[in-house]
Amino acid sequence: MGLFVDILLSGVAQGMVFAAIALALGLVSRATGIVNFAQGAMGMFTTFIAFSLLSDGVGYWPAFVAALALGAVLGAAVERTLIRPLQGKPALNPVIVTIGLLIVLEGAAGSIWGNVARGFPAAFSQRGLVIGRTRVAFSHFDVFLVCAVVVLVVAIVALFRWTNLGLRMRAAAFSPEVSRLLGVRVGRLFTLAWALACAAGSLAGLLVAPLSSFSPYFMDLNLVYGFTAAVLGGLLSPVGALVGGLVTGLAIALVGGYVGPDLQPIAALALLLLVLMVRPQGLFGTTKVRRV
Amino acid sequence: MLHVEGLSVRYGPVRALESVSFEARSGSITTVLGANGAGKTTLLRTLSGLVPSHQGTASFDGQRITGRAPEAIARLGVSHVPEGRGVIAELTVDENLRLGTFVRVRRGDRRAVVDEIYERFPQLRDKRHRSASTLSGGERQMLVIGRALACRPRLLLLDEPSLGLSPIVTAQLMATLRELTAGDGLGAVLVEQNARSALSVADWAIVLNLGRVVVADRPARLAADADLRRHYLGF
Repeated sequence: MGLFVDILLSGVAQGMVFAAIALALGLVSRATGIVNFAQGAMGMFTTFIAFSLLSDGVGYWPAFVAALALGAVLGAAVERTLIRPLQGKPALNPVIVTIGLLIVLEGAAGSIWGNVARGFPAAFSQRGLVIGRTRVAFSHFDVFLVCAVVVLVVAIVALFRWTNLGLRMRAAAFSPEVSRLLGVRVGRLFTLAWALACAAGSLAGLLVAPLSSFSPYFMDLNLVYGFTAAVLGGLLSPVGALVGGLVTGLAIALVGGYVGPDLQPIAALALLLLVLMVRPQGLFGTTKVRRV
Repeated sequence: MLHVEGLSVRYGPVRALESVSFEARSGSITTVLGANGAGKTTLLRTLSGLVPSHQGTASFDGQRITGRAPEAIARLGVSHVPEGRGVIAELTVDENLRLGTFVRVRRGDRRAVVDEIYERFPQLRDKRHRSASTLSGGERQMLVIGRALACRPRLLLLDEPSLGLSPIVTAQLMATLRELTAGDGLGAVLVEQNARSALSVADWAIVLNLGRVVVADRPARLAADADLRRHYLGF
């Protein structure tokens, strides 16, 4: 029983990270119709910058905020310089470009910081909380992690649902041409969507780095899980991303705990395949299916 | 207010518009007629910046608009109502209308402007919180025209507003258009397949054929010319 509960708890924490990645993928996909395969690598890169700042003696929270801000800047810059020129080009082009960016970023991180695995500090204690008399597999840091992602999702939902900026962003995503005819500066909103997405991707990197072996490749598998979560949640809705992340996290944790960690990636891909076969629009998606 | 001089547009080797010149004045309706493929839609899309021009200029209130981005032209007060699919189906009726007010209406006046549109089209008020995808064809047309009006435009570019509407609704629409352009310094360029109803409300008419202006005259003279009607207007 104790093992089962511990597995579920660790699944919740992992799942929140996948939810943040799914949210980032969804923001970009919804705005520009692109799957950003470099999402994980971009989060990895900004997390390494936070790592450098920490090594230089900068405090945890300033480094944390700097990484989020740099994520936003990196996202905006990538949209402006690499993605914008691909408008109206074949759908395969952005796939190639984002995969290329992934390779460049991982190569750059490897040559700057080295391809070795190390540790990344956590904001709070990673020792399990004591509930009653038992120590469970859920730490202060896990509590922070869950809260951070829930706050992120609520903030994004509120932005889209209740602000004029959010209304403009939705309009630009659904009907860019009509929006432009109404004077909406669609290009800026796409840049903003990329900035938000990559800040969310940076958050995911900062949150998952202490839980994993921290190397330039630490986000690769997380991107696969995040992608599974995104498809499960229907790619477009922030709440869908949250639920998709949770389900993926639990599934991964159960497979890891009872079958073996080696099978986790295959389990995620099997789950992805299952969703695509049974319910391709995802749990929260509309029936509109986009081919990528 | 709108001054078009020698405007040419090419799609690759295809000449879609060839040296088109005309003027549209505020307080009046200029209708653009012609068969399918004559270049009517291309003309509007060029004026609103969606299609780049090859040669010639268009200026609005003395400011050159050719070469500008659609959002910049919209901000000057040119509202293009595109053909058929201008409703953003994923948004509610109210959201569609509010979207129109963001650029040229001050924050404090936006609600009042949207309420004004509801006064004009009460059917929309009843469905304000419904998804725009649930509207009928006539209601969608009301919504896109209402949204264009919510932009507080100085010039309306209307592409086939009567498409898919019954004759009665079309007549109402034309009467509304007449009323709108009668007063407050609003001009309209009306592209229509339905030449008969367009000529009944317009102050000036031009006929396009294969991208060129072949006739520019008062609507009554066009309607009276049997040869012209048979050749270009099909009635």
